[in-house]
Order: sequence, then structure tokens, then C-alpha cells
Amino acid sequence: MGGVVEAMGRVAAGQLRNAFCFIGAGGHHAGRNFFGGYCCFNDVVIALRQARRAGRLRRVAILDTDAHHGDGTRDLVQDDPEVLHVCVCDSEYASADGTKLDLAAPDPWSAGESPDRAYLTLVRSAFPVQAERFRPDLIVWYFGFDTHRGDYGDRGLTTGAFLGLADLLLETAGAACGGKLLVVLGGGSRTDLATTLIPPIIARLAGVPAP
Amino acid sequence: MGAEPSREVTGIFYHPSFSRRSYLTTGRRLADFPAALDPLLRRPEVRLFQCVPATDELILLAHDPRLIPQVEADPL
Repeated sequence: MGGVVEAMGRVAAGQLRNAFCFIGAGGHHAGRNFFGGYCCFNDVVIALRQARRAGRLRRVAILDTDAHHGDGTRDLVQDDPEVLHVCVCDSEYASADGTKLDLAAPDPWSAGESPDRAYLTLVRSAFPVQAERFRPDLIVWYFGFDTHRGDYGDRGLTTGAFLGLADLLLETAGAACGGKLLVVLGGGSRTDLATTLIPPIIARLAGVPAP
Repeated sequence: MGAEPSREVTGIFYHPSFSRRSYLTTGRRLADFPAALDPLLRRPEVRLFQCVPATDELILLAHDPRLIPQVEADPL
């Protein structure tokens, strides 16, 4: 969690272009007085509150593409109109002020377009326009790879979906907040997927060729 | 930590303990790190930071004080 706090502060202050945070335990299932789902403390919300306290930002847009609903994060930001929280999960929801949104992820086993394409289409249809309208100071991508084919939150996704999300988030951050993007690792269990997916995502953040 | 990083640098925040026991469901999902980042870390556009522990003061920015001992007592 300390890394997420420092990373958000540095990106918000313009000391870093963007950042990728590895984690020791999850965060998005930790609410004010509950925790679970292998999350202990809510790294993202703690980081944004510390950055606010330091006067480095006010408004944050969060896109959560972990397989499961970010219930802890929602609990903590539900009444905060300066946080846009968009969660791709199993349900549909929109708060009255439009700053809290749940998007039902496509069923990967239904007929039609590929899971990668359907997922990216859903996110592309909702997040960029909301984020640009919201005018955040910084964007957080809560990046779970548990949605990868064969992992525990399987949405049928492959590497292309995650790289597509990285490109979409970079593009959106460029348009909405001067490129200030923080990627925080969420769920996902497989060593081979972590090793395959994370380096090329960081390469995209840095604007260099993938290793 | 050395000189302040440039705003053109991408930060990677990592701690070796994450590769020994990262994300409690899964044990060693990050076993290949940080070695898997070696080619990137040779580039000037990327810089590795070692995560520092969070304080209770930070935790209390978001959580009820009673949550801390509950997390500490969790067998996982």
C-alpha cells in the first residue's frame, strides 16, 4: 500500500509521467469497516486521500477491470462526488449523479464477437467519455488479470484485451488529465500470465518497445 | 533514492516480498519479478522504486481503527 501512496503522490505532482504498482495484497474489497476477498486495506482510496491532504489533487477517476465488483472502493467513495468510479463486473448500476457506475461484463460464452472485442467495446463505450466529462486530476486503472482465460475470474480474455485496455487508458488519460495515469495491480493468480502481461503493459506506459 | 525523477519517467513500485508471497490467494504469482523487468529497467524511461510500509496513520485515512487488529488477526 505504501507504494501506491507514493506513486499517486509522485504522478499527481508531475514527478513521474505515470506509474505501475505491484502489490502484496489486494485493496478493492476493503471498505471502511470490512475486508475480504484477499484484500486488507484499500490502497487506492488511502492514496487519493493522502494526495488530497498534500494538496496534490482533488478529482480522481477509477476504472476497475478486476473480475469482481470493487465493493470496498465503492463503500469508501459512494458519497464522494469528486471520485468517478467505474467498475466492470456482473451488474449494472448508475448513481444519481453519474459518478458511480457498474458495467456488466459481456458473457464470454455467448454467441457473437470475441470476448476481447466485446469487453473492449464495452469499456470504450463508457469510460473515456465519462472520464473526459469528469475532468479528473488523475486516472487509476485497477488492473486485475483474473479475467484472463483460464484464471479464476475467467471472462475469456486474452493478452490482446489487456494491451488494448492499456492503450485505451493511456489515450483517455492523455485527453482527460495530461496523461496522469496510475496502474494498480489487482487480482490474478497465474505466474505465467503475470510474467506475460505486466512487462508489455509497463512498456506501453513508458512508450518503449515491449521486451 | 538519488535525484528526483523526471516527469518523462514511468515509475514501477515493487517490493521483493511481493514475489515471495504476493496476493494471498495465489502465493507466488510474481515469482518471475523483478527479473522479468530487467530489459525495461535498463532504459532511462523507467525507474524502479521499492515500496515502503504504510503507517497506521495512512490506514486510518480510509478505515475504521477496529479494522487494523482484525486484519492482523486474519490467518491468511
